[in-house]
Amino acid sequence: MKSVMKILTAALVGTTFLVAPTFAAKVPEGVKLAEDQTFTYRALDEHSSIDPQIVEDVSGSDIIRDLFEGLLNQDANGNLIPGVAESWEASNGNLTYTFKLRKNAKWSNGDPVTAHDFVYAWRRLADPETASPYSWYIELMSLENAKEVLAGEKDPSELGVSAPDDYTLVVNLTAPLPYFAAMTTHASTFPTPQKIIEKYGKEWTKPENIVSNGAYVLTEHVPNERLVRERNPLYWNDAETVIEKVTVLVINDDNTALTRYFAGELDRTEIPSGEYPRLKEEYPDQALSFPRLCSYYYTFNLSDSGPEAFKDKRVRQALSYALDRNIITEQVLKGGQFPAYTFTPAATANFTPPDVEYAKMTQAERDAKAKELMEAAGYNADNPLKFELLYNTSEGHKKIATVAAQMWKQKLGVEATLANQEWKVFLETRSKQDFELARSGWCGDYNEASTFLDLMTTPSGYNDGKFSNAEIDKLMQDARTAADPNANYTKVEEIMAEEMPIIPVYHYTAVFMLDPGLVDSWPVNNVEQNWYSRDLYRVEK
Amino acid sequence: MFRFILRRIAIAIPTMLILIIISFVLIKSAPGGPFTSERPLPEQVLANIEAKYGLDKPYHQQLIDYIVGIVTRGDFGPSFRYKDRTVNDVIAQGFPVTLTYGFWSFIVAVSVGVSLGIIAAIFHNSWIDYFAVGISIGAQVLPNFVMAPILVIIFTLWLNWLPGGGWHGGQWQYIIMPVIALSTSYMASIARIMRSSMLEVLNSNFIRTAKAKGLSWRRIIFKHALKPALLPVITYLGPAFVGMITGSVVIDMYFSTGGIGREFVNSALNRDYSVIMGITILFGFLTISFNLLVDILYAWIDPKIRY
Amino acid sequence: MVKMVIGAKKIAEMAENIASKEMGKSHSLWADAFRRFFKNKASVTSLIVLILIVIFAFGAPYISKWNNEEIDWAILGSINELGRPSLANGHYFGTDDLGRDLFVRVAQGTQISLLVGFVGALIAVIVGTLYGAIAGYFGGKIDSFMMRLVDILMSIPYMFVLILLLVVFGRSIFMLFVGLGLISWLDMSRIVRGQTMVLKNKEFIEAAIAGGANHFTIIARHIIPNLLGVVIVYASLLVPGMILAESFISFLGLGVQEPNTSWGALISDGAKTVLHGRLWQLLIPLAFFVAGLFSFFFIGDGLRDALDPKDR
Repeated sequence: MKSVMKILTAALVGTTFLVAPTFAAKVPEGVKLAEDQTFTYRALDEHSSIDPQIVEDVSGSDIIRDLFEGLLNQDANGNLIPGVAESWEASNGNLTYTFKLRKNAKWSNGDPVTAHDFVYAWRRLADPETASPYSWYIELMSLENAKEVLAGEKDPSELGVSAPDDYTLVVNLTAPLPYFAAMTTHASTFPTPQKIIEKYGKEWTKPENIVSNGAYVLTEHVPNERLVRERNPLYWNDAETVIEKVTVLVINDDNTALTRYFAGELDRTEIPSGEYPRLKEEYPDQALSFPRLCSYYYTFNLSDSGPEAFKDKRVRQALSYALDRNIITEQVLKGGQFPAYTFTPAATANFTPPDVEYAKMTQAERDAKAKELMEAAGYNADNPLKFELLYNTSEGHKKIATVAAQMWKQKLGVEATLANQEWKVFLETRSKQDFELARSGWCGDYNEASTFLDLMTTPSGYNDGKFSNAEIDKLMQDARTAADPNANYTKVEEIMAEEMPIIPVYHYTAVFMLDPGLVDSWPVNNVEQNWYSRDLYRVEK
Repeated sequence: MFRFILRRIAIAIPTMLILIIISFVLIKSAPGGPFTSERPLPEQVLANIEAKYGLDKPYHQQLIDYIVGIVTRGDFGPSFRYKDRTVNDVIAQGFPVTLTYGFWSFIVAVSVGVSLGIIAAIFHNSWIDYFAVGISIGAQVLPNFVMAPILVIIFTLWLNWLPGGGWHGGQWQYIIMPVIALSTSYMASIARIMRSSMLEVLNSNFIRTAKAKGLSWRRIIFKHALKPALLPVITYLGPAFVGMITGSVVIDMYFSTGGIGREFVNSALNRDYSVIMGITILFGFLTISFNLLVDILYAWIDPKIRY
Repeated sequence: MVKMVIGAKKIAEMAENIASKEMGKSHSLWADAFRRFFKNKASVTSLIVLILIVIFAFGAPYISKWNNEEIDWAILGSINELGRPSLANGHYFGTDDLGRDLFVRVAQGTQISLLVGFVGALIAVIVGTLYGAIAGYFGGKIDSFMMRLVDILMSIPYMFVLILLLVVFGRSIFMLFVGLGLISWLDMSRIVRGQTMVLKNKEFIEAAIAGGANHFTIIARHIIPNLLGVVIVYASLLVPGMILAESFISFLGLGVQEPNTSWGALISDGAKTVLHGRLWQLLIPLAFFVAGLFSFFFIGDGLRDALDPKDR
């Protein structure tokens, strides 16, 4: 009885998170700022869109985080800090979230930013009319009626989001997501100006039409060449913005971009794989490498169409053991990447990687064990294991695949043929289980282990290897409501180390050259690399 | 002549149709679609998107709609990748860029190539000739994807004379390197063709007669020899034009010029159906028109030709 | 790509000249041509260079202790210092970024590039000759239909169609041959057609027709042998064109599959290292590429001069 009361009280009162006011670009005292406060960086390809509800790529999201502001932001360490919302609160056992919005947030045309703008944007995201390639995100957020609206069975107005008054946003969920608030840092959930969109239609994102609520406004866009955004004086926290102008240049070729970095045309560019140590030695203050929330791995096809050999877990273990991850990270990639023995990166918040057995062995021990396992599974010099390793066309993937195939060949006598396909064909092939062993990569959608481990559950749409394990399914299901889900995650990783449905290869790092003046303010600890130009500042060097 | 032009235009229409159908069939039969992504879209979302773009209709209907759209409204459809732009936007933005550096490359290739060829022919078998021939063969076999990065390293990184890329509305310092990279190999070919045809003309009887008459070599070259010697160069212009269009892929990639060459390759890889079709049609149209122009020019210079 | 070497007009003129001499029937004319070709210093030197390249391509794998996919683990990770060309460690041309021996990889890439060049040219020769001979021989409506088709195909931006082909059907060396061959026969068919039309009215063909031979016998026995000269010259100039086209495809990443490589693939990989101090990865394959193409050009020129009876 007492416990029932407790639960009821908890449900009624809810949990309130009150947050101290935070500021953008906290420039430490004594730092001398440079005269020139501009930032120019390189993008590999033209972004697909700068419409928050339409965007689907990282380069577009980087721009949108500057032009628009959502309910919550991330700080330099990836923690949640207030954005347009000043505070938020979960109630009803995490099924209802209430956001209180600040009253001084404005659109760049002077209109106030209200809860109705969010309601409009979220309905727009779900509306089949919008046909957003990211509309599944609203379903991932578990909003009430999201599924039905997406299917066109219900009107977008029935979506579980409402604005009781101008500065209160209430969200109703179908599943008690403990991490829901963190999901509102995603660009798809940012508010958009209804009046402007209705006035200009598809043209609304053009520099002459766009109205936004972020720290910057769009001033110039030449597709495939450049996009310029400049400081927005109407932004509520403009006082603490330092960088005046941000430019992104589209440069397809890594090496050309690096040349232009050295010529002083860029402040930031990616370092081509393998070149980091040399550049670090030459430019210790500019070459950066820090962990990201991404995993690189090979997926076994365990479905009926997959090879018989891979159904034997000894074969899977042998291949995983014989892969010398240190050679790949230290001699091929050379960008500070981490050898991976678990799927989830150690950098994931609150996640403790288990002490898996094979991670503790030396490579020589692993090799010996691999040979043993392969023998036991019935493969030897007379009867070598043969399979095809599929990867998508790219210099980096080619290198890793070549090295892996050679390792397997020399250590185990395995004959792995390389096959590469161009991206779209590759995705199609992989999702149809028309492969044997395939290269895969996954970056976390949010900073929690389930964003990775959900892939290993039977119903996951991204489980391309069709691995199925009842225990993992149950652990992941329980984790959704568990007080401490991380114990479950650790257990799942242990099972995976035994079953080896995938071969974890390495965990990514971001490796780039950054102008020394900007290094101090770059959020290297934000593993999702959600950076905001308004937090940056250029130091006089 | 007039009938000849009419006939060529009459051929152009079925040609364009065949081109449209070939590229449509090819691109539709490619695995994966514009909305295939690493995170596969839920069926419902995919269906919504396909319905919006009319991709749920039968193929022949899509093709007919597409052609009708072009013919009646000049509308090449929406881009699937750049959600807030249409194919017309993409072309209107990228094509002037390609056209600008393409035009200058063409001018440079022809003027420098022709001059080099004439000089080499005049000083036949001297060191100038060998030098010119050596350079042009070398330039002809040096791929532009090798030349482009080397140019950037020399002019941007070492000498710091020119910006390493970008377009900036086509300011001159942004045009120089793309033009050098694109025109060199065609300039070299033109120089070789010009040299050998000039030599041939210079050895022909009518020039010998002119020499015997005591005309100055300047007069011989420019008044008598140049016109017939140019004919082979003119036949070469068509293929050179097509080659430059292809080369624009490399230029856009290395110099971030934002032209449509790179856009084509990207759209093929992204399955941006309408952009691929739009650019193919545009290039097909340009090729046909240009070849026609070359033929007219040829007929004008060489009145012996009859069609 | 192909016409950059020779003006179409020249070839056409030459075709006329050859046709008027009935080369196929006369052995002494061929002997003459041989003699003339071997008098041409540039062509002979080129031929020698080309033979050396071929010997290298097929011989190198036997001399080296490495093969084209083996990784030298001792070098991987410090290519800049240890991967340079060196006699001591057996990497005569150095290694690529993965510590694979360039000596063997260049040899293997040479094989592929030559193969692409020859097979592409061969497809062009077979299809182009047959197509052109049929069109020219029958003339009239058949001819005008067949040639209009060629006109149409020629207006298609072929490199784009090739890119589409490779994207659609996946990259394979077979697809590359098909794609390059499909495009390259067009010019050939035009030249052959022109020459056939000239030949058709010659007495010996008329005699054969009067003798009751059927059309295909005439094409096979009398027309095609007489086309050999022009076909050989044109084909020799097609080969470098094919190699250049392949290098562009490789640059786009649509060329041959790993671990195989080609000149184009090696050069485009090498071009990426210019900034990073591994110049040998660019210069060595580039030297082979340039030497190979030079040779083909000069051999083509030499063949043209030798087989063109105009100056006699």
